[in-house]
Formats: sequence, C-alpha cells, structure tokens
Amino acid sequence: MIALEIAGLSKTYGSVRALDGVDLTVEAGTVHCVLGENGAGKSTLCHAVGGSLTPSAGSMSLFGTRYAPRRPKEAIAAGVAMVHQHFSLVSTLTVAENLRLLRVGGLAARLERLADRYGLAVPLDETVGDLPLGVRQRVEIVKALLREPRLLVLDEPTGVLGPAEVDALLTTCRRIADDGGAVVLVTHKLGEVARVADVATVLRGGKVAGSGLTDLSADNLIPLMIGRPADDLAPVLAGTLGLSEVVVRDERAIDQAPVLSLRDISVTRPGGGYLLENVDLDIAPGEIVGVAGVEGNGQTELIHVLSGALVPDAGTVELAGEDLTRATPARRTAAGLGVVPEDRHHEGCVPELDVATNLYLGRLGEYRRFHVLLDKKAMRSAATAVIEKHGISAPGPAAPMSALSGGNQQKVVLARELALDPLVCLAAAQPTRGLDVGAVDAVLGRIRAAAAAGAAVLVVSSELGELLALCDRVVVAYRGKLSEAIVAAAPGAHDKIAHLMIGATA
Amino acid sequence: MIAAVRHPVFVGAVAAIVAACAGLLLAAGAGTSPAVAVDALVEGMTGTPYAIGSSLNTAAVLALIAAGFTVAYRAGLVNVGGEGQLCVGGVTGAAAGLALPQGVPGWIGVPVVLIAGFAGGAAWASIAGLLKAKRGTSEVITTLLLNFVGAGVLALAVHEEALLRQPVTSAETLPQSAPLPPGARLPLIGSIESPATLIVVLAVAAALIVALVLRHTPTGLRLTAVGHSPAASARLGLGVARLEVGGLAVAGGLAGAAGACLVATAPYVLAEHFSSGYGFTGLVVGLLARGSLTAVLAIALLFGLLTNGGINLQLAAGVPAASVQVVQSLLVLLIAASMIWTRKGAR
Repeated sequence: MIALEIAGLSKTYGSVRALDGVDLTVEAGTVHCVLGENGAGKSTLCHAVGGSLTPSAGSMSLFGTRYAPRRPKEAIAAGVAMVHQHFSLVSTLTVAENLRLLRVGGLAARLERLADRYGLAVPLDETVGDLPLGVRQRVEIVKALLREPRLLVLDEPTGVLGPAEVDALLTTCRRIADDGGAVVLVTHKLGEVARVADVATVLRGGKVAGSGLTDLSADNLIPLMIGRPADDLAPVLAGTLGLSEVVVRDERAIDQAPVLSLRDISVTRPGGGYLLENVDLDIAPGEIVGVAGVEGNGQTELIHVLSGALVPDAGTVELAGEDLTRATPARRTAAGLGVVPEDRHHEGCVPELDVATNLYLGRLGEYRRFHVLLDKKAMRSAATAVIEKHGISAPGPAAPMSALSGGNQQKVVLARELALDPLVCLAAAQPTRGLDVGAVDAVLGRIRAAAAAGAAVLVVSSELGELLALCDRVVVAYRGKLSEAIVAAAPGAHDKIAHLMIGATA
Repeated sequence: MIAAVRHPVFVGAVAAIVAACAGLLLAAGAGTSPAVAVDALVEGMTGTPYAIGSSLNTAAVLALIAAGFTVAYRAGLVNVGGEGQLCVGGVTGAAAGLALPQGVPGWIGVPVVLIAGFAGGAAWASIAGLLKAKRGTSEVITTLLLNFVGAGVLALAVHEEALLRQPVTSAETLPQSAPLPPGARLPLIGSIESPATLIVVLAVAAALIVALVLRHTPTGLRLTAVGHSPAASARLGLGVARLEVGGLAVAGGLAGAAGACLVATAPYVLAEHFSSGYGFTGLVVGLLARGSLTAVLAIALLFGLLTNGGINLQLAAGVPAASVQVVQSLLVLLIAASMIWTRKGAR
C-alpha cells in the first residue's frame, strides 16, 4: 500500500530551485529515509508535505487521494504528523498541559495505547523546561502520534540527542513502521539510515540523486549524496556524516605552557543550580581542544563567557597572562581572542548588512575619508580581497549577508575572526553546523591552519566524529561540568566520550 | 501588474485620494460644498505669504522631531517621547534666553537658546536611553510616560514665579514666562509679511546632516548595525549602550531644539500649551517616512500645510478644523495598513 506519492514536486525562490522535479514513493509499514547534505532540499520537502509552503509545481497523493495542503492545519486533518528539529512545546507548562493544547478527546486512553504499543511513556506532571532533550523529543513524538496520523515525518530529529536517546528514537520509528504506519525520516547522518531504514531516497541540489535504494551501505550512499566517490572524503567529514569508522588525528606532544586558562568558572542558573560549575580549562598554543556533549549542557554559556556576552559569577578567564574575565568584547578582540559564535544569525553577523560591513564593523575607524566620512570604496575592495582569499561565494562585497548560503556566511565570520593580528586564541562553537560538505572541509581546514600557526583553538561541537578527527584533546560537557580531557588518539576514546556525554561514568 | 499595484508610491497616492474624499464628505456633512472647502483649505495652506510662512514653520518643527526620530529608529529604538522632550527643551531654552541681558546680540542669543533647548531635550531622552541600556526597560514605555512628566515640568515652570513665570502684578497675569529678549528671538527669513523664521533653515540643515551621518559615516553604520542586531554588534566590539543612549539623546535633542524654536517665535513666551501636540505629529511623520530623510521633509511639509489649511477651513468655511485631523489620521491608518500589504507582495 502506497502511503505517500510525490510526483514532479518543484519549489523555486526567485532564481533558486530548492526542489526540482522530486519524485518520492513511501510505502506503508516502512521507514523511509530521505538523505542529503544540508541545502539539498530536505527541509523544503518537509515543509511541502507538512503544508507550511505551497510547491511551485508537482502533485502529491496520500493513500491514493489527491493531497495538496495549503496550511499545516490541512496536513494534520489529512493525517500527516510532523516532528521538527526544533521543539514546539511550551516549556513553562507541564507535559500534560502541552498535550491538552491539542484538544483531542480521550487523552488518557490514547496515551495508554501509545505506551502499550510503542513503549512511549511520558512524565505527564513534569514541566517541559526541566526535562532532558531526549524526553522532550519523546513528548514531541507522542504529540504527533496522538491524533493517530497515517504518515509521520521526522525532520532531522537526532540533531540534539545523545547516542542513547538516538537509539531509543530509532527503535520507536521501527515499531511504528512494524505496526503498519508510514515513517519518513529526514536526516544527513548515514549511520542512522543503515540502522533503521527499509528504503532510502537521496536528494542532491534539489533533485533526486537516487531513489528506492535498499543497499544502505555508506559506500553506496555517499557518492550519491556528495556527487563524488567516498575515497575523496577527508576523515573529518566522515565524522561529520556520522559514519562509525573515524580516523583520528595523530597524537602530538604539546609541551608549551597554556595560553588560555579558565579557572573555576561558575555561572548560576536564574532559578538555582549551575549552568557552568567550577570549570577549568587550559589550552596551549597550537593545540586544538574539543568540547563534546549533548547540547544544553553548558557549552553555550562557556562560549558566552569567552566572548564577553556573559560575566561568570565566579572564576577567571586569562589569555596570555591578561585577565579578561570582565573585559569588553573590543578588549578581547584587541588581546587576540577570536570567537565564532554558535548562532550565526544572532551573534555572528548582521544578516541585513553587506559582507564588507560584516567583515569590518569592529574596525570602521580604519576606513575613513576626510576624517569623518566612511570610505566604503576602500572597505569594499579590502572585502573583495578577503572574499577571494577565503573562497567565499558571494555576489560581491556589497551583497547583504542574507543573500549568502549558510556555508559562505560561516566563512565570512571565520575570515573576520582569523584576521585578528595576532590571533592568540580562537574559540569556535558549532563551526560546521548547517554547512555542506565542501564548506565543512574549508572551515575545518582554516581552523587547523590557525592552530598550526600557533593559535590555541577551542571547538565546541555536537558531532563527536568531527571532534575526534580535529582535536588533540576532547573534554565532555555534562550538566555544566567539564570532564577530564581525553586524548583523541587514545584507544577507546570514542566510547569513553559517548558514555560521558550521557552522564555514565566511563 | 500586481507588483505595480503594490508599489508604495501608488499605495500612498490611493491612500491620499481616499483620505481626501473622506475629508470632503466631512465638509459636506458640515454643510459646506466641496468647492468652497477646497478653496478655504488651499487659501490657508498657500494663499498668502502669511499662510505660506506659518505652514513652513509648522513643517519645520515636525521635520526636526521626525529627523531625530529617524536617528533613534536607526538604532532600533522607537522614540515616542517627542512631546515631553519638546516641552523640556522649551523650558530650558526659555530659561537660558531669559537669563540673557536685554541687549544681547542675536549671534549669541539665538545659539544659546537653541543649544539650551537641545541639551534639555537630550538630557530628558537620555533618562529613557540609560534605562534601556542599563536595565533593558522598553524605551517605548519610558519615553511615552516621560511625556507626561515633561508636560508637568512645563506646567510647573510657567506657574511658579520662582521658576519662569512672569512677575505677577494682578489676578489677570497669565501663567506664562516674560518675553525673551530681542536678541534671543529667531530672525525672520524672507518677506516681512511672512512669519517664516530661521527654524525652516535649521530643519532642512538638520535633515541634511542626519542623512549624511546615517549614510556616509562610521557612526551611521554602527547605529544601523545596533538597530539590526545588538548581540552581533556587541560581539564585534561596538559600544551598544553608548550608541543607544546617543541615538535617543539626539532624537530628544532635536525635539528639544524644536521646542526652543517655538519659544523663540512670536509671541516669544513660554506658555503651558505652546506645543499643540507637535511631538506626537512629528512622531507620525517619522514613522511614515520609514527612515528616509527626503520623506521626512516631504511628509512634514504636507502635514504643515494641512494643519494651517485646516485652521483656515474653520475660519473661512465653517468646517471644524478637527476634520483635517480626521483626514490626517485616516491617511496614517491607510498607509500603516497598506504596509502589511506591500510587504506581503514583496515576499
């Protein structure tokens, strides 16, 4: 029985074809994985199925009847449930209250049925904000299943989960399919596909690069995803894609004294408890230290303490002997501390302004005419040089940041931070998030080059494989504390870190 | 085709026609034929040198306030406090002017009054600016509420003899200040029959300087960056608090200078209701101009003309001047509503 059939679906934004004649057939009783790099059109496809955007061309049918939702409400009424990467739960309400917002009758009976059938029990009386991310995700799935949908679509559901939580999620998908439901799992992680999918479809550049695939080995799928053989793939990219076999960086002896020192940093949570608790961290020149961990365990606050967006309640930040704990961002920049923020659009750049301004906003004083006027011409020609040097694909220095792809925006941010002279320390949070393979390669190459040139580098990432391939040492953030450093090249490092990430003692 | 229909200029023209028709209907309701009403309106706007001069003066006050609004708006702040800043600027301007000796020359007296007015308005707006920068209090709320406090300061100043009230000689002494010395009064420009003063030149100069600063200086670009993203601007080392307080202070300063200009215009006294709501009309001008200083000047001129035309409408044609306010408000509503529509088209 065919649950969902998509034929010739296209979506264009101006001159950009986000989806270009996509065909997809999902059978009931299967888990169908839709794979692709970031920017391949996966999210656009999800939005089209979920009714939150109207396709430019093409048709869809659901269990044999024509299906053309114009808004999410119509998709839900037709029996399609979506689970998005970002949760849509009210965090100040309890789980039960959140579920009651759906206004479905016989809530208790339905919940019992879900618990029986799929083992999906949720703590009804707890406040959502207090729950771990894995449990929130489960609530989100319960929410989707409450209306007993005929088709469940999950958009990158594992991005924020730890290894054990991913296992539980994949098991749930399997059970729903075995029970006769149709599940579409959208992801860019090959490891997950091999474990749960019956069939896979690969998108590349908005088109179907491979459909009805049942050989789910990485060797088969990678060339379809990236359009070139897997052998070309740098080991670090394999890490990003979630492949199990990761080549770690050779162990190197770091004998220099640390240049960045965090001592006893604590940040208290407004309602009590700690966001960061007694964090110590030392990084030597030329060393790359990774911070692993499931998101929300203090990594964001750690970067904010470094960038100056947050003053810790206790502890000190020292860079090359200078106390920067309470320094302004300008002072930190002058001291040679470059920060690539986690949220590109919020802190990393001003999307509405042009590329040149985003590169030089902190140094406008250097581009003046007649002492008072801004020399836009000089600024733009300097920006043009940076755009060429860093291989940034942009219409020009006067193009707004928002016209650039995520990968190129990240290259601009990184180029700006790397331009510090001297660059003593670089802290990068989730530097490769949302980037396609080519951009990941470029960004990681730049970070490595910065370390080779003598900068102390801190990388926060939720991609464990990426950290192992990039870093000398990895520490794990768990509930605001940092673990002992684990040498990335040491045997068993991967398992040890994976355990620490979920709070189990290794 | 649809894109052309959604073009802002087209939408603005349609809004103006609809508002004008509503105005004519109101006039007809008051028993005046459209031809008579239009005649009276045009007469009041530009019919005599006096009409032109007073329209220009009103337009200049609105343009000063709207230019200031645009500066703060660029930094992401909405200054709703033009009226209060104008009142306080009027008080400080009058205080400075009255402190000058009677024989002060114009090249000293006028700048002193203007600078005092600017400083008063800027200080008043800085209260809201500091609260915003240090405590995150919404500037919309604080500037709005400071309007009432500013009006109170003005009332106190003109009612208390110890402050700015003219010496009380009888029960009929009005609660207003003594007239400013001749050297502190704004000089007239143009013909003797026209009341247009130096404020017209000042307003155009202010609009030009604001346009230049916002478009062509590092400060303008920094303000723009803070307006779009305070977080990213802070990360990049900009003094976000300084820029926010500064932006709001300039907005208040220009409103305060406008207040001082009003005091330094005939009859040269500070009275309780010397403003007649310019602060709020200036805010509307700033909002409608949406960051363009050319639009600030054009809309301020339109509103200046309509205000004076409305007064004549009442005097000559017997149509209540309030009907012009209805037309103005209708215009604002229509344009504001159409913004949603034009934006939808752009998406």
